[in-house]
Amino acid sequence: MYEIRFHGRGGQGAVMAAQALAEAAVLEGYFAQAFPYFGAERRGAPVRAFARIDKEKIRVKSQVYEPDILVVLDESLLEIDPVGEGLKPSGKAVINTTKMPEEIDLGVEVECGTVDATGIALESIKAPIVNTAILGALARVFDVISLESILNAIMNRFGEKLGHQSGVMNAEAARIAYLRTKIGRCSARRQLAKTKVWLPAWYEIPPGNALPQHAIEGVLIGPGSMVQNYTGTWRTQTPHYTKDKCIRCLRCWFSCPEGCIERMEDDYERWDYRYCKGCGICAQVCPVNAIEMIRGVHEWQ
Amino acid sequence: MQEKEIRTIKDLSREEFLTKGHGACPGCGVAVAVKNIARVLGKNTIIYVPASCLIVFTALYPSSAFKWPFLYTAFENTGAVISGIKAALERRGKQGVTVVGMAGDGGTFDIGLQALSGAAERNDDVLYVCLDNEAYMNTGIQRSGATPFGAWTTTSPVGKKIQGKREFKKDLDAIVAAHGVPYMATLSIAHPNDFVRKVQKAKITNGFRFLHVLCPCVPGWRSEASKTVAIARLAVETGMWTLYEIDHGVEKLTYKPRELVPVKEYLQLQGRFRHMGEDDIEKLQNWICEKWRNQFYEEVPVPPCKLEKVKKELILDEDPLHGP
Ligand SMILES: Cc1ncc(C[n+]2csc(CCOP(=O)(O)OP(=O)(O)O)c2C)c(N)n1
Ligand code: SF4
Ligand code: SF4
Ligand code: SF4
Repeated sequence: MYEIRFHGRGGQGAVMAAQALAEAAVLEGYFAQAFPYFGAERRGAPVRAFARIDKEKIRVKSQVYEPDILVVLDESLLEIDPVGEGLKPSGKAVINTTKMPEEIDLGVEVECGTVDATGIALESIKAPIVNTAILGALARVFDVISLESILNAIMNRFGEKLGHQSGVMNAEAARIAYLRTKIGRCSARRQLAKTKVWLPAWYEIPPGNALPQHAIEGVLIGPGSMVQNYTGTWRTQTPHYTKDKCIRCLRCWFSCPEGCIERMEDDYERWDYRYCKGCGICAQVCPVNAIEMIRGVHEWQ
Repeated sequence: MQEKEIRTIKDLSREEFLTKGHGACPGCGVAVAVKNIARVLGKNTIIYVPASCLIVFTALYPSSAFKWPFLYTAFENTGAVISGIKAALERRGKQGVTVVGMAGDGGTFDIGLQALSGAAERNDDVLYVCLDNEAYMNTGIQRSGATPFGAWTTTSPVGKKIQGKREFKKDLDAIVAAHGVPYMATLSIAHPNDFVRKVQKAKITNGFRFLHVLCPCVPGWRSEASKTVAIARLAVETGMWTLYEIDHGVEKLTYKPRELVPVKEYLQLQGRFRHMGEDDIEKLQNWICEKWRNQFYEEVPVPPCKLEKVKKELILDEDPLHGP
């Protein structure tokens, strides 16, 4: 059995990619399954999707913890998620990046294909939706499923949902990616940190589920505990504040959905970039253009 | 200690009661609304949230983004549960606690309407907030009674025969008002001072209070994250959303656009209306113009309302059996 794990961000199409891969496998006569991990997160948040492919009927229903193939749709995830966790040393990886495989550090040394899926998607479908391009690269690395079947699956899935023309363009993205994928080996310099969660056993759950503000083994629980969730890793652009221009109207502070703009005693602002999702509302509402959105993840002050 | 009255955003607390780190989409209008309501309500508050985006992005056991005690039971119960929390507090002699329920439009307009009506009719001392993002967003954008005419959702799709939702938005505020509640108001996140003043009023009024906030939703409205507040403002300027309050029976419009902006400008910023043809846009525009007349008792200057000035006839008996 082959187990595949996709890492992407909400909105990038990781779930569709897993489904198209499963469909391609079925076209080749395999049994297959595909499903997403349902978290609470919304658009922009790190998400996972899974696929399994086998000659026999698949009875396992759990998430994929030790993938044979790892697919990373967004390079920035390497810095925030232990994406390489559980990847078998005999496994393979496909990464959306402009870098060479040798420059990628997954924490596990495996055969690795890299491709600039974002660039290809912008070229062929005119939108940074990278799931189909990455499938083309996957066909190069994971030789069990042919490019032919991947293209057919894309035509079926995307054509049915978004129309024939869209199917053609998405298949084209996959074809180009297949040709441009660079194959090599990635490195294993980084330490894979285990993500910590506290899940109570039945006898640890308080009556009525009412949790007091509390910390267990360094993990916060109860009211206010979401502060341990650094959502700033979601952003792709960053607000830059020019204090000299600010007239202290507080509009940005009021309008930021994250509460990551801090209002100082003198009503000037300060940014807590650990949580800024880069939505750009603050720059939009500022009447004097004291805030400018800059591409990429930055921190100032 | 007497708390300071909140009249403008300058009076808002620097302390946050909806903390950072919640999982809403970048640019979420619900998050903007809830965070600022929380800043007004302050420390002594208990919150109930039914199934909706809000519960999913703020409270997944064992973590929570609210610094308040937080309760959750079922989708249809907001009105009933907040009444129950208040009754329990009263039984225990606890005073000065605001009990607030925050439900989505699905949980308010449709599925929670009976519990809302019950609490309003009993005039229970609670605050009900409807976070109106005009569809069931948490389960992937299905139409609700709050979805506007013409909007695409997964259950009001766009095809050859039907192009988006065919029904107009339910006038929930009129339904709530008909209960004769002590205080109710509509809010916009693009009018901060009006927003906080109304929340403050709702906080200090006794009995049943109802706040209705329009909350643009990035994936559901297919809009740009940075435009959330701009779209909320255009909703008011085009008359799609009216800012008013009813305080102990006294109705007051709290903001009147200088002139009515054509609804097209509002629709253009949102993918959910992209398919709308001229006919449908005109239909929606006429609906707004009619609403404007009823609200402001005046005709709308010619554009955007092309309607001929029909004088409303008083029809005493429309029963076909009794003839014209
Ligand atoms: C009785 C019941 N029916 C259906 C559901 C599934 N459900 C969970 S959240 C949700 C949508 C909520 O929509 P809305 O109230 O508009 O809030 P939003 O997510 O848009 O903020 C649905 C249908 C449920 N939890 N309970
Ligand atoms: S971009 Fe601005 S409004 Fe958006 S999360 Fe960051 S600070 Fe807040
Ligand atoms: S919106 Fe602009 S002017 Fe107003 S407080 Fe923020 S940065 Fe300053
Ligand atoms: S789906 Fe809409 S309402 Fe829900 S978190 Fe995202 S932006 Fe907010």
